[in-house]
Amino acid sequence: MKAFRSAYGAIIRPTTLNPNSSPHFSFSLFYLPKPFAISASLTSNFSANHSLNSSFSSTPSMADSGNPSPFDGTLETQFGNFRTQLDESGNLRERIRNVALEIESVTRLMHANLLLVHQSRPVTEVLEKAKSQISVLREHFSRLAEIIRESPGQYYRYHNDWRSETQTVVSLLAFMHWLETGNLLLHLEAQEKLGLDTPDFGLDVEDYLVGICFMSNELPRYVVNRVTYGDYDCPRKVLSFLTDLHAAFRMLNLRNDFLRKKFDGMKYDLKRVEEVYYDVKIRGLADTGDSKGDQGIQGQA
Amino acid sequence: MAFYGFNDKRERVVKASRDITMNSKKVIFQVHRIGKHNKEQVLEKADKDLQAVRDQHVSRLVKELNGTDFWKLRRAYSPGVQEYVEAATFCKFCRSGTLLNLDEINTTFLQLSDPSIEPLQINILDYLLGLADLTGELMRLAISRISDGELDFADKICRFVRDLHRELTILVPDMDESHDMKTKMDTMLQSVMKIENACFSVHVRGSEYIPLLGSDDPSYPLIGVPDVEL
Repeated sequence: MKAFRSAYGAIIRPTTLNPNSSPHFSFSLFYLPKPFAISASLTSNFSANHSLNSSFSSTPSMADSGNPSPFDGTLETQFGNFRTQLDESGNLRERIRNVALEIESVTRLMHANLLLVHQSRPVTEVLEKAKSQISVLREHFSRLAEIIRESPGQYYRYHNDWRSETQTVVSLLAFMHWLETGNLLLHLEAQEKLGLDTPDFGLDVEDYLVGICFMSNELPRYVVNRVTYGDYDCPRKVLSFLTDLHAAFRMLNLRNDFLRKKFDGMKYDLKRVEEVYYDVKIRGLADTGDSKGDQGIQGQA
Repeated sequence: MAFYGFNDKRERVVKASRDITMNSKKVIFQVHRIGKHNKEQVLEKADKDLQAVRDQHVSRLVKELNGTDFWKLRRAYSPGVQEYVEAATFCKFCRSGTLLNLDEINTTFLQLSDPSIEPLQINILDYLLGLADLTGELMRLAISRISDGELDFADKICRFVRDLHRELTILVPDMDESHDMKTKMDTMLQSVMKIENACFSVHVRGSEYIPLLGSDDPSYPLIGVPDVEL
């Protein structure tokens, strides 16, 4: 790496006329392919020379007015503009962060509420409480959408500021939906629940997928606890759901990124659920069923 | 000069904190010696040891801290206090199956010094950090109880730890320096799941257990099996 860098510096240096600018160029262009980098550095040299010439030509008239530096006015206004622009985006970001924090605290309550399913509290009761928070989430997301609308076309500039919160929201909604129906919460359904079905502010597909992966992480624990409380049919349902889900994810061509990592983790959830199913099945517990059997999931997975 | 005096004080506080940690750990180990039949003796000794920790070491800490801002020296005594919270709540849970509240701990501290000295009161943060560590000990206890056949006790621990974890989930991001606590929460979830998995295993594999000879415990793990053939 270092050797390449110095070799590259050697290439760059002869083409650069202005010695002061060479470190900048070689540093910033370091990652570009060689031919392009050189041509780029040449053009920037040209433009640098050009502006140098033009500034020389304009010097006499400026000198008359007693101004020592010809750049002063434009330089200051340029950086002044930068400052106001960055200030504005900073403010916007801060407002977004505030909403994101509120979303986070709502999801925390929802999550704590949903954790009660591990204690085998009746699903309907648990869901009811958690569902009451959805409308609050909708409100927060509509506020978020309004803030984003103030700078149109920059959704992805600020996306990171509410990203992880949104992923958690999706995972909770998907888990609730699954508890209720035994089916996967679809992307469209998730958007609808959160009021994100407007054309300019939607639910990013990647965030949706990550959220689904998070939900899958919760399932092994759920299965273990259901079985401990005597629901021997639960592993079969979860296993069939998770197998389908995993198969569906395998159809995607993923980049080597966070989502990929989360998807890779899903197979361990699947493995654990398989083990539980095996444990129950081999002891003949699965077939006998139990009166509590359908308490967990109303629908068929 | 006041500055050096303060440094010396800090050193003494650190020392007191370390003594509290060490002796609280001993109390915890004592509680782990609990078995099916010696519960009373074990807990009695643990309570006595805990009282000794208060009398000998916590009282020293209170005297040192007298007249200084508790928050200023918190980092010096926090580890000891956390460990004490862990030990005290651990004893209480084994005795009654309930959580020892912060107020209850602080009340026991009131008697340690004469009224002229400002009594040491544990702050919420140290209490919560101590509770987070408690789950690790409870996990160990649950596993050893299961191998000893005390499944009901293990089940009780499981529920208790789950509740604790749930309550803390809500609180954690609001705590000062919550990063420390977040890592503790991850460990805590691991502990909860370890207990759950152990409970699951005995439950499902109950049919493979054969009661120990001479054991007349009717609650022995034969649950979940429709027809028991021995």
